Amino acid sequence: MALKFLVVDDSVTMRRIVMNSLKQIGHENFVEAADGRDALIKLNSDDSINFIITDWNMPDVSGLELVKQVRANPKTANLPVLMVTTRGMKEDIIEALNAKVNNYIVKPFTPQVLREKIEQIISTVNV
Amino acid sequence: MELTNSMEKLFEKLGDLKSFFIYGQKLIPTLQKILNFMQDTVPLLESVNKSIAESTSKIPKATNQLHSVSNATELATTEILDLVDGISNELNSIFSKTSELKNRLQKQKELAEKLKSKYQNDNEIDEFLSYSLFDDELCFVDASSNKIQESIMNITIALQVQDITAQQLASVNHLINSIQEKLSGLLLDLNGKERESDKSSSQHESITFNENARYVKDNQSQKLADSLVAQTNGVKSQKEIDQLFSNKNE
Repeated sequence: MALKFLVVDDSVTMRRIVMNSLKQIGHENFVEAADGRDALIKLNSDDSINFIITDWNMPDVSGLELVKQVRANPKTANLPVLMVTTRGMKEDIIEALNAKVNNYIVKPFTPQVLREKIEQIISTVNV
Repeated sequence: MELTNSMEKLFEKLGDLKSFFIYGQKLIPTLQKILNFMQDTVPLLESVNKSIAESTSKIPKATNQLHSVSNATELATTEILDLVDGISNELNSIFSKTSELKNRLQKQKELAEKLKSKYQNDNEIDEFLSYSLFDDELCFVDASSNKIQESIMNITIALQVQDITAQQLASVNHLINSIQEKLSGLLLDLNGKERESDKSSSQHESITFNENARYVKDNQSQKLADSLVAQTNGVKSQKEIDQLFSNKNE
């Protein structure tokens, strides 16, 4: 099954960098959301999304809150979530893992790291 | 006897009074100094008041400027990304054309080889074969194109600095706004006015940020994240996750 990514970040620059990196590693199918609230709307309206890549620090609904809401909704509870954030402190990573993100990338990242984490998730989760 | 006692008490009181006057005389210069100091302090306090008022009025401008810097860098980064995308597209065309060229040259080479086996004594076929092999040139184009592609990717990675600095600027803005709130409060207290909430100072406060955001490429944080993620592999329940990190989060 082809992957359709939802790229969530309030920074236009970061959304483009993530999407460019996805293209670079051979994934062309993605939609974007400017924050957690926008992401929830997109998830609600597009059932073909099967992979979420989200930032943490965003207005209204943060990335962490987005993950919690995704996990709480039976329709989206099993969607793979990769968090891409500037937050590299141990307690932050543990908090994200407690919210059940599947993997974690600390910015700045390379397309190779993105590929590695996506592959790790795919190998452990039924997408 | 009673009169004597009364007189003694009177002299005692007069003695106290005398001591008080002597003490008062000594105190007068000190009191004068305090008065002079207070007189000197009043303009100083007015100056402090004015200075706080000026600083407070400049803070919104400073935060706006920082916000503008952040917006400008985002715009510039987007423009750079547009250019990078353009170069990347051109590069993909070059890759596609060189690949096509390689295939066509290979076919030409195969045909020439066939002709060579057919007309073994034909020198012109030998000459054609020696001219038509552009392997080295194509390898050079490929290597150069790969280097350009690598540079493009490095530029893209470096552009992540924009998001990181935007968060740092938002953090500074938050700090400045906190100082402004304190100064405004101090100013109102000095002027004896009641405090009102100032919404103008926090117009950019909706921007979220990580105050510890840093542009570092040493991968230490990523290694830490990888090790923590590895520990959660196979862990399914929240209880297991809680148990796993219960001691590590302290």
